[in-house]
Amino acid sequence: MKTDSCLRYLEDPEANAGHLADCAECRALFGENEVPTKPLSLDALPLAAWEGASHRAWPLVIGGTVVALIAAAILCFIAGMTPLQVIESSFKSVQAMRVFVLTSAGALREASRGAQLAFGAAFFAVNGVLVLLLRRSPRGIDA
Amino acid sequence: MRRMLRLFVPLTIVGATLVTAMIAAPTESAKSFDIKSMTLQQAASMLQQSAVTVSLVAVWILAAVALTLMSGREVRASSTEVRASALHCFTLGLVAVTSFVLTAIVFSYLIPYFIGVPLLFALAVFAVITKIYGMVAVFHAVGTLVAGARSRQQLGSRKWLRGDLVMALIGALLLGAIRLIPVVGPIVWGLASVFAIGSALATKFGRREPWFLAWRPAEA
Repeated sequence: MKTDSCLRYLEDPEANAGHLADCAECRALFGENEVPTKPLSLDALPLAAWEGASHRAWPLVIGGTVVALIAAAILCFIAGMTPLQVIESSFKSVQAMRVFVLTSAGALREASRGAQLAFGAAFFAVNGVLVLLLRRSPRGIDA
Repeated sequence: MRRMLRLFVPLTIVGATLVTAMIAAPTESAKSFDIKSMTLQQAASMLQQSAVTVSLVAVWILAAVALTLMSGREVRASSTEVRASALHCFTLGLVAVTSFVLTAIVFSYLIPYFIGVPLLFALAVFAVITKIYGMVAVFHAVGTLVAGARSRQQLGSRKWLRGDLVMALIGALLLGAIRLIPVVGPIVWGLASVFAIGSALATKFGRREPWFLAWRPAEA
C-alpha cells in the first residue's frame, strides 16, 4: 500500500481493476490465486448429527408408545396390580436410598471426631474432583 | 503437587466406583435368582416386578418423547457427547453420583439445624432432573448407535427410521427390554444411569456452556 493508486484501488476495486496489472504487491494480496480447488462432494462428507434430526415419524413414535403402554397395562392386569401399587413399588428404590442416607447421617453424628473429619475430607475430595472434571469443555461435535 | 494430583484423581475415581457399586449392586433377591427352585410366590413376585419395570419403561418413553420435543437440540448435543467421549461421561457420572450421595449425607446431618431440609430438597430435585434429562440423552445415543443412519444416502432412503424422536424411542425400548433381564438388566440400567448423569453434567444439560467462569483481571 504505497501509492495513491493503491489507495484508490482499495476504495473502489471494481473501478480501478486495471491497477492489479501494474502493482505486484496488490496483485499478490488481492489478485486471483493459483491454489487448485476441488469440487466439493457432499456425499463424501460424514453425516452431521443434526441432519434429518428434526424429522418426526409420528406413526412410529405413537405406535411404540402405545405398544409399551398396552404391554404395561396387560402385565399389571395379569399381576393383579393397581396403578397405585405400581407407583408405590417404583418408589421402593427411592425409599431405600432415603433410608441409606438418613442412617448414614445418623451414624456420622454418632461417629468419633476423627471419623467425622475423614468423612469431611472425603466430601471435599470428591467434590473437588467433580469441579475439576466439570472444568473440561465438552468435545461433542469437535471430536 | 502435580504428582499428588495425578494420584489423587484416580484414587478418588476408584473410590467413587466403589461407592456407586455399593449403591447400584443387585439386591439379594436378584443374586439368588434360580428358575429351577422358584416357588409360585416367587414367580408371582417376579411377574409383579416385571409389570412395574414395563410400566416404568412406558413412563420413560413418555418422558423421552416430551423432552425430545421440548429440547431436541440439547438432547442431541448430550447424546453426541456420550458417543464422542464416553469415558469422560462415565468418570464424571461416577464422581457425580458419589458427590450426590456424600452431599445428601452432609445435608441430612444438617437437618437438626433446619438448613438441611431445603438443601436436601434442592439436591434431590437437581439429581432427579439430571437423571431424567441424562437418561433421555442416553436413550438417544443408544438409538443412534443401533439404528442411526450411517450415510447421507441411507438417511435419504429412510421414511420413518430417522429423527431425534425415533432414536430416543428406540433407545428407550432397547434399554427397557434389557432391564427386564434378571441380574444383567439392573446392572446395565445402573451403568446407563451413570452415563446419563455424566453426559448431562458434561454438557450442562446440552447447552455446552462452561459451568464456571474463568477469572481474568481487568486490564487498565
